[in-house]
Amino acid sequence: MIGRRELFEGAGALACLTLVVDLGACGPAPVARVASAPAPAGPAFAPNAFLRIAPDGKVTLYAVRLEMGQGVHTLLPAILAEELDVALDGVTIETLPASAGVELHTSGSGSSREAFAKLRVAGAAAREMLTRAAAAEWRVDVESCATERGRVVHASTGRTLAYGSLVPAARKLAVPEKPALKARSAYKTIGKPIRRTNGHDIVTGNVRYGMDVRVPEMLFAAVARTPVLGGTLIRFDGAAALAIPGVVGVVPVKAGIHPGVAVLARDTWTALRARDALVVEWGPSPVESFDSNRFLDDLPNAFRAPQVAVRHEGDAHARIAEANGRFEATYVYPFQAHAPLETMNATAHVRDGGVELWVPTQTDVRAVQMAAKVAGCAKERVRLHPLLMGGGFGRRLFADYVGEAVELSRACGKPVQLVYSRGDDMRHGYFQPATAQRFTAGLDARGRIVGLAHDTTCAALTIYEMHDGTDIWHAPPVRPPQDYAADQSPWGAYDMPYELPHLRVDCADVTSPVPTGPWRAVEYPSTVFGRESFLDELAHRAGVDPIAYRIELLPPGVKKIGPFEIDRARLRRVLDIARARSGWDAPLASREGWLRARGISANVYHAQSYLAMVAEVSVARDLSSLRVDRVVTAVDCGMALNPLGIEAQTESGIAWGLGATLFGKMDFERGRPVQSSYADFRVPRIGDMPRIETVIADSGDKPGGYGEHPVPLVAPAVANAVFAACGKRVRTLPITPEALKRA
Amino acid sequence: MTIHRLIVNGRPREIDADPKMPLLWVLRDRLELFGVRYGCGVGICGACTVLEGGRAARACMVPIADAAGKSYTTIEGLSPTADHPCQRAWLDEDVAQCGFCQAGMILEAAALLRARPAPTDADIEVALGGHVCRCGTYDRLRKAVKLAADYARADSAKPAKKETP
Repeated sequence: MIGRRELFEGAGALACLTLVVDLGACGPAPVARVASAPAPAGPAFAPNAFLRIAPDGKVTLYAVRLEMGQGVHTLLPAILAEELDVALDGVTIETLPASAGVELHTSGSGSSREAFAKLRVAGAAAREMLTRAAAAEWRVDVESCATERGRVVHASTGRTLAYGSLVPAARKLAVPEKPALKARSAYKTIGKPIRRTNGHDIVTGNVRYGMDVRVPEMLFAAVARTPVLGGTLIRFDGAAALAIPGVVGVVPVKAGIHPGVAVLARDTWTALRARDALVVEWGPSPVESFDSNRFLDDLPNAFRAPQVAVRHEGDAHARIAEANGRFEATYVYPFQAHAPLETMNATAHVRDGGVELWVPTQTDVRAVQMAAKVAGCAKERVRLHPLLMGGGFGRRLFADYVGEAVELSRACGKPVQLVYSRGDDMRHGYFQPATAQRFTAGLDARGRIVGLAHDTTCAALTIYEMHDGTDIWHAPPVRPPQDYAADQSPWGAYDMPYELPHLRVDCADVTSPVPTGPWRAVEYPSTVFGRESFLDELAHRAGVDPIAYRIELLPPGVKKIGPFEIDRARLRRVLDIARARSGWDAPLASREGWLRARGISANVYHAQSYLAMVAEVSVARDLSSLRVDRVVTAVDCGMALNPLGIEAQTESGIAWGLGATLFGKMDFERGRPVQSSYADFRVPRIGDMPRIETVIADSGDKPGGYGEHPVPLVAPAVANAVFAACGKRVRTLPITPEALKRA
Repeated sequence: MTIHRLIVNGRPREIDADPKMPLLWVLRDRLELFGVRYGCGVGICGACTVLEGGRAARACMVPIADAAGKSYTTIEGLSPTADHPCQRAWLDEDVAQCGFCQAGMILEAAALLRARPAPTDADIEVALGGHVCRCGTYDRLRKAVKLAADYARADSAKPAKKETP
């Protein structure tokens, strides 16, 4: 098993190639060319792996993370461009080639947080070298020179030299280790709205995703997989499928989550429909009786079993036992699917003792590992072309489908593009684990907390998080005794931000037969749903305003939790902003037949980003429907590098969170995944969306990352607003009209 | 196999295919118009939306036999220079995130503006209600459709502008 930390570190060294997909819609044959990067005229200036300037002035900036819509191929090059002092328009942006030896693994909202300092230095070092080269050419002091959008300027004489013309001289200079960085006040791009760099390609249809890869002689594959979790393959008959024109082979495949039978065909449609003609006998599963609703009901029983310590401060149990009052509540978060619009796919070509791969993936590391394992070759023999993802959300941190594609290419000796149908994608995933959070508070006479115990089952995620191809059904992995504090997990439980001198967080190990993995914001959605709902319940019971109740728990000062330093003043500030900007203290306009109210939630993600969210909801008086009308989010994610990107991720996180809050739920009956499409796994559509207002409270602090952060706040803000509106407290998601009537 | 004749992005095409082959896969696997995206294959996500004449159609739901004799526009044919009002508005509002659903959304919006040059919020929600965006770009999408309507009106006020679908 690979831990989260290890995935962020280490390095791989692979050959570098550029994939050129021919766009020629007029061309007669499927074509893709794999070509070496074109050689520029004369050697380029490349003082580090992240940027390159050709003698003709052409600038290439390399993105050090993978793009799935979150904007890293805009923001990370923009940081380089800022320090290098070139305009972002007109530069070429490419994914950092594997030859740079830098892992591109993209998860945990880490890109801007981790890359900011490094990219600034890289850009500034190049700028300093170009400036020195120009000063030498003019025989003037370096200090008398400045840069201005791609050229060096000698202000007193008005002379200028374009970066391109300085390439030969700059190449000869030593790379400064500590170049002077731009002052923030001098920024021309960072901190201002930066539009997506591939926007033009998107609106003209020129972006390329995994299913658009074409390699000569490539075959297309669709796989029939066992319908039951943990099921096996007994035998199959491919005769009827093989009789369909365009089908070239039927082969078993076992490298994925589940065993299956693949149809290899000359086009996607033929592969998909011929799959339906397969006759397959599936074997039994040890988990045929698994029912996820029963599992959800049983989850709180896990808290009877021995617990693993997560965070113990003071003596919460004693304080609760001797307290004046006591309140306990348990919150349940069901299984969730990722369901990205681009279904899983991978193109693999096994040949000459190696593998060439084209994959929309969040993790170059695991894609290469999986390919090498299945092909039986060294990792160095795998050449990966990571592609733009049509959504990732954590699902593409796995490489099961890469393994299947490699296995199929190995079997047939040709390049193979494996495509998941929507149903395949929904049923054969790594789901957000269903979890329970139990909170027990000891209360004083005023309803204030004197001791708090939080029990969570979030360990389920840690166990299977990076499961890859192991048989979890017949040989459940035994998790070694683990110090949760060392991994700062479960997120949201370990780093509970409020001041509670007597706090005890424990984790119960619960296993389920459902393959699970990180889903957007990982453990935070479930832990924060519980915590922020519970605080709201306590505030109402104490007759105190829910924002004021939280503020009382946030005395000024920095709270150290392991490596984290949570600045409570920053959380107070966003709560205050959310209060003011949402109109919290003013009554909502009434609407005939509807009960309307606001709810609050707050969270700190990895001690880096501080958020508060107010949701406004309307609940029909007869509880037959509810809708979220408006969401106001106050965010302090440190220095706001791209306000347009922060707003986009807020809108995106709210849509994502709203799905799980109001509709989404993955069920399993008789060991079988139930939902199989957007028809039965409902996701938000345009008409479900509230008005969204994002207030960026730039604290000037270190950038904190943002791709996932608003997600965990949505469910508690909505649940708390629903309670305020109609007095119904829903503690198990989703908050449907049926759940309201039951509550 | 049967020969099917249709027009795609202004060009006559002859496709030799099983009559049941969906237009989606003809456009993608035969004509390599990859801007037409597979998202569900059953007409509920909208990612494969194309223009059939001036009307939005789900390419996954149109067997090639039914497409014969008709004229289709994909995102590649809308305007390669991105000067269609919808494309301009999409860029100005910075709508896209991962981008996978966006071609279908843009073509749906183009069809909407043909039918309703000044769409209301309700018109937009009905027309785009059949589309899924997992990145949640809906807020900007709504703004972009209205901005595109403004651009289209401004364009039509100018003389002799070449018409785009």
